[in-house]
Amino acid sequence: MPTTRRRLLAGTAALAALPPGAAYAQAKAAISVRIDRDVEVLDPAFRSGLQDGNIVRAITQRLVTVAPGGNGDLVKDAAAELTQTSPTTIDFTLKPGQMFSDGFGEMTADDVKFSYERFIHPDASGKESPYKGEWAGLKEVQVVDRLRGRIVMERPRAGLFTIALGDVAGSILCRRAVEQRGVEHNTRPVGSGPLMVTAFEKQRQVVMRRNPVYAGERSGFEEVAVRYVPDPKTAELGLRSGDLDFASLPPSQAEALRTAAGLKVIQQPGIANIWMGMNVEKPPFNDPRVRRAIRLALDVDQMLLAGFNGRAPRANALVMPQVVGHWPDAPVVKRNVAEAKRLLAEAGHAAGFKARILVQNQPVYQTMALVAQALLRDVGIMLDVDAQDAGSFFSAGKGDTGKALDLFIIRFNGKLDPNFLAQWFTTGQVGTWNWQRWSSPEFDRLLDEGSAELDDAKRAALFIQAQKLMEASDAFVWLTYDVGIFIHRDWLRPALLPSGIDWAMDRFAPA
Amino acid sequence: MRYLLSRLLTTALIVAGAMLLLFALTVLVPGDPAAALLGPQASPEYAARFVAEMGLDQPVHIRLWRFFTHVLTGDLGTDVVSGRKVSAAIGAVLPYTVVLTATSIGLAVLLGVPLGCLAATRPGSLTDNVLAGVSVALIAIPSFVIAILLLLVFSVWLDWLPVLGTGRGDDLADQARRLILPTIALSVGWVGYIARLVRTAMLEVLAEPYIRTARAYGLPRGTIVLKYALKNACIPPLAVLGLGIGRLLGGAVLVELVFSRPGLGRLVLDAINVRNYPVLQGAVLVVVLLFAGANLAVDLLYGAIDPRLRRRA
Repeated sequence: MPTTRRRLLAGTAALAALPPGAAYAQAKAAISVRIDRDVEVLDPAFRSGLQDGNIVRAITQRLVTVAPGGNGDLVKDAAAELTQTSPTTIDFTLKPGQMFSDGFGEMTADDVKFSYERFIHPDASGKESPYKGEWAGLKEVQVVDRLRGRIVMERPRAGLFTIALGDVAGSILCRRAVEQRGVEHNTRPVGSGPLMVTAFEKQRQVVMRRNPVYAGERSGFEEVAVRYVPDPKTAELGLRSGDLDFASLPPSQAEALRTAAGLKVIQQPGIANIWMGMNVEKPPFNDPRVRRAIRLALDVDQMLLAGFNGRAPRANALVMPQVVGHWPDAPVVKRNVAEAKRLLAEAGHAAGFKARILVQNQPVYQTMALVAQALLRDVGIMLDVDAQDAGSFFSAGKGDTGKALDLFIIRFNGKLDPNFLAQWFTTGQVGTWNWQRWSSPEFDRLLDEGSAELDDAKRAALFIQAQKLMEASDAFVWLTYDVGIFIHRDWLRPALLPSGIDWAMDRFAPA
Repeated sequence: MRYLLSRLLTTALIVAGAMLLLFALTVLVPGDPAAALLGPQASPEYAARFVAEMGLDQPVHIRLWRFFTHVLTGDLGTDVVSGRKVSAAIGAVLPYTVVLTATSIGLAVLLGVPLGCLAATRPGSLTDNVLAGVSVALIAIPSFVIAILLLLVFSVWLDWLPVLGTGRGDDLADQARRLILPTIALSVGWVGYIARLVRTAMLEVLAEPYIRTARAYGLPRGTIVLKYALKNACIPPLAVLGLGIGRLLGGAVLVELVFSRPGLGRLVLDAINVRNYPVLQGAVLVVVLLFAGANLAVDLLYGAIDPRLRRRA
């Protein structure tokens, strides 16, 4: 069932049903969690990636937050009351007595104003939040009194709850602490959440301990050490030896641990988009018949089997089942070599042609590209696989360089909002992140309409229509929404948010 | 004095050349740091500002001038991601690299020199042949393969030593325990290499007339080998050791990755991946300085051991 802001109250009941922290059997006071990228900036507006966001989520509060384990239900967190008074205004009242760590006092409505508005206004040095888009449409936050305020939007925004209020962008910081500590706040942050950062060691770990002044439900463990272990093989050995208690691993690595004593392997569908794109401006891919032929010559299931050990479910459209606008009847393109050859011949390429597929130099993408190479050879398309490191790969579609692209396999992390998922494919993104260079004014219009549509059913219809346009373009070969594979000790109960890549480490608890 | 000055001048030229090469590489390498560091959500305006903050929007000659002048004034710049000083980021990981390199070199010398002497004093014997085979095998196996094997055996199967990290800052014993396997992994290849070098050099020295004279005087074998032969036999391995420190710093990247230890190698690798140029340039510069410093030290030591070199300079 997709996540909607209307399920906020239902989620409140779900959270109340969780066992209280005090009742947990405290088998172990400390746990060790693996991350595969180093922690950089523990500031919601300037975080460097998911790993930063997961820590920020554990050390701060939001007005509402996503309940783990479910499908995106939002529950009240710092807010005692939260009411949408009009399509563009949301009134909130904070719970009294919510204290910031390190003696920075009680959370106020002014802290909420500061935390949200810093996404849309550059700071004193002119630095702009790279996550400005998460608070797109925010006009201001009005402070009514110490604990009450009003969020004012310039126009209605359907994804406000899931993208901004309930996620990392909705984290409430202490204005005084940020201003006082400056850059140091990035590594010594002040929050009011269940955990607090007690050590930030570059390239090693971030250690969080229970925040003694947190008034809500106690975190499951006294200490959570978030350890940077880039190599998946080392992470596997760390799990086996007991150095690590929780890790996400690639499917091939996780397979070996399914039978390991004391470990459990769990799997969760992802909300990322992984697809093969075609540059519709460059010959011969500017011919729709060629694009269709490529889709028919490929076998997505085979590519997934090779790339993900068959663990990742196949995607047939942009929006995944957990999100509003999922298109359950999206066509499933089956391999048809004869038809592919016929279309190529019709397009004047009976003898085939040479092309280049760009991928990131990670085994999963390289393997899928190699399978695509073998499959396309059957219809005469000779594919060169160009594997590049992240730095080069992510600039390959930009500006004029992007005009030279043929095919590529790419992954974008998602959020539980269709506008977030679709924003990269608009006309305005051509030359930036729309590497297909596919442009549809109708698609752009549907997205605009969808972003302001607060009725879920109507919004879903708009996004299904948008996905039909993508399907008709034949510029996309949807591969998968990814899969999260997590390994944890059998005495540990992890708390994963619906995306799988987002975790609520404060709610990790003894099983 | 003249010898010292000539070595210092050579070292300064090496560092300047390496800096120039480093700068050229950062200019030539493809990849947009804004895309890699900020991801898809950054607005084009902010991405442009970000690039400007790194100074990458400036002409090459201005960037080159700034790079050299900043380095000469001790300013390695600011990490544009975290906002911290690059020198602080390097300072946080440098001790780990220095300690790991030093212990690895130390262990390699401690084992390699006696093994080389042992083989040289028994040329053609079973001991010599076995040591030759083992040495070549140790040189041939990459350090990261040894690292994974060590982890499997000593951490997973035997559960004697921990897998990850460097240990708690306030617990020296824990830090020492976590240094054992990385040190072995990094030094194993060098043990074999040093043993082979010492053996070859020792065989040459043992054939010298002054050693024959010493034997004729009836000096004990141990005294001849350790007191008279070893000092001269150490000169060729010592020269290689200077270069070896550079190789060890490079090899340390993989060992740091496998054991999940912080270090300069990993800092460089992470910086390359996201095109974090200030950190990349700062960290590589420090590696160059370490390498040049180690070679300078070796050169000076070389001169101290062999007076002919001082006279030649």
